[in-house]
Amino acid sequence: MANRLDAMSPAMTSTPSINQSSKAQDSASRAMNNGNVVKRLQSELMTLMTSPTPGISAFPSTTDITKWNATLAGPVDTPYANLTFKLTLAYPSNYPYAPPEVLFKTPIYHPNVDMSGRICLDILKPAGPGKEGAWSAVLNTGSVLLSIQSLLGEPNNASPLNGEAALLWDRDQDEYKKKVLARHLEPSEMEGDE
Amino acid sequence: MAHQASGMSDDDMAALQKLSDDFQPEISGPLVGQREPSTAITAEYASADPVFQAKTASLPQKYSHYRKMRGDGKCGWRAIAFGYFEALIHFGNENKFVEEEARLRSLHNVVNNAGYSPYLYEDFADAVFDILRKLSVSLQIGNAEELLLESFNDETEQNYVITYFKTLTCSWMKAREGDYAPWLPGQSVTAFVDSQVMPIGSEIENVSMSALKDVLLSPASIQLEVLYLDRTDGVEPNMHRFDPQNSAHPIIGSIRLLYRPGHYDIVYKTEDVPQSTTSVQTYLQYHNETHNEPVMDLGMSDFMTMIPGMSYAGPQQSWLPGAGYGYSDYLASPPASMPALVESPELQSRTQSMYIPTPRTQMVPPSDEMPQDMDIRSDHHEETQPHFSGQSQTSPFRSSYYQFEPGFVSATSHVPFKTAIFKNSHFNTAHFLNPDFQPEEWRPEDEPMLMTNHSKGGRHNSFG
Repeated sequence: MANRLDAMSPAMTSTPSINQSSKAQDSASRAMNNGNVVKRLQSELMTLMTSPTPGISAFPSTTDITKWNATLAGPVDTPYANLTFKLTLAYPSNYPYAPPEVLFKTPIYHPNVDMSGRICLDILKPAGPGKEGAWSAVLNTGSVLLSIQSLLGEPNNASPLNGEAALLWDRDQDEYKKKVLARHLEPSEMEGDE
Repeated sequence: MAHQASGMSDDDMAALQKLSDDFQPEISGPLVGQREPSTAITAEYASADPVFQAKTASLPQKYSHYRKMRGDGKCGWRAIAFGYFEALIHFGNENKFVEEEARLRSLHNVVNNAGYSPYLYEDFADAVFDILRKLSVSLQIGNAEELLLESFNDETEQNYVITYFKTLTCSWMKAREGDYAPWLPGQSVTAFVDSQVMPIGSEIENVSMSALKDVLLSPASIQLEVLYLDRTDGVEPNMHRFDPQNSAHPIIGSIRLLYRPGHYDIVYKTEDVPQSTTSVQTYLQYHNETHNEPVMDLGMSDFMTMIPGMSYAGPQQSWLPGAGYGYSDYLASPPASMPALVESPELQSRTQSMYIPTPRTQMVPPSDEMPQDMDIRSDHHEETQPHFSGQSQTSPFRSSYYQFEPGFVSATSHVPFKTAIFKNSHFNTAHFLNPDFQPEEWRPEDEPMLMTNHSKGGRHNSFG
């Protein structure tokens, strides 16, 4: 969706609509639109602060409320146990109508995550005609991070981004775990990110 | 790695994935179109195969207009959402909008219990409440329909409305798991709503449509029917009506959808289309109730013929105590139903369709609306009446020879006409099972002549 790009500069915004209304109204609805994103993100932040979920935390960056940093604890009884992962979330201007763009900042060895940290997960894909995306507007930062956390322990090996990891997951868990640990960097080991 | 074998790097894959994600099929046209004559659909299928030709050719007879939805996968949700507001506008009562907002707000308990926090859906709910309030105000100005069209062609606003209705649907399904689980073999209601209903692009299907009807339409006394235009046998599209849950309550309006595989549009009957700013529909249903009675009486008449010595009324029902009542009593208070017998368009469409249960979709009028409606009725009468004159010849009932004799008085007209039950029995000469059947139409200038030749119209309309 075009909105993903817009996420980088929230001022630009908004789906191209075949709106018959005047341009003035158009920009008014854009402003309202962006206002909605901010309001919604503030609500989400409040919820995360007041009822935190163990193993998950997320907070907006200092400069832009539509860009968040998150940390995720690897689930116990998986090769990712006791590891901590950093992620970024970028919310498009029509959030929550379109999903946030989520990236692993910590290098991770996983069938559904590629080398750049992009995640293949149905709820993170925008839905539309002919698309398989399962993003819905009542999902939120907390539920997205929970889904990613459970994806660590239950990879979807039917559509892997990392085919080797998918094969290894089924064949050799010990070898798999070695690869995970070899790839992993704890936050303290990473170079300072924004 | 698997995909490196095919010569692709991660970045290439990601680029392709991005292309795939960004893909938007070429879809044009407004999200919700203007109301158009449904003959356009007939024209569209003029060169299609015979089944579609026949079905679309018969469509405009019953459904005069239609409204196109953009075919982007959300058409079903959009059509029902739009139809919901449209039905409220049509009902024409400002208080109904307030009532609906209060009712939807009261549903938020159900939504919260379904696991959706208020902050997740409040923006969507507000979009719907805004529209309800806007429409309530605009009802007096008379531009409600334009406003609604404008709201629904604002993509953001419409998406919010659809999302809210989806949230309601899912919450309702979760709250009444037992009602919907049997329709979802092999998956739980929760899994179903998460994967099939809630995702932004998901199309409506039968279970979610039924749930949406249950939570949104039925409590608002709005009826939903779907016409299926497909390749099955028949000359008319098959109609499925989702029964109103509280059928004891009057129906305030109808949403009629035309389904062509994969796509929904809205269709309208003539009476759904406003001919003036005040509601038109209300009058029609009013008389319809009355006219069902003779039809339902049929069973009773059959039953009576089974009693020994009984038959379909001999010419003289001498065993009936007739002496005490003169027919002038009857004439002094003509049955209110008679004029309507002639004029109800509902009945006319019934004769066309040969007793396919015609949708009883019109509204029962609040009594204060009647005066305006009376004007509309006469308009309608003039417009539809000539259509039926051609059927006179096919009626099974011939005029009696004696009827044309001066001073003719039917023998059976001496029997009492007092009770409603009698009016509907075949001992009444106005009943079509009476061998002396003589349809009646009260005309003050004809008094005291009971039988007139003007009455043909009534006869054919009711039983043709």
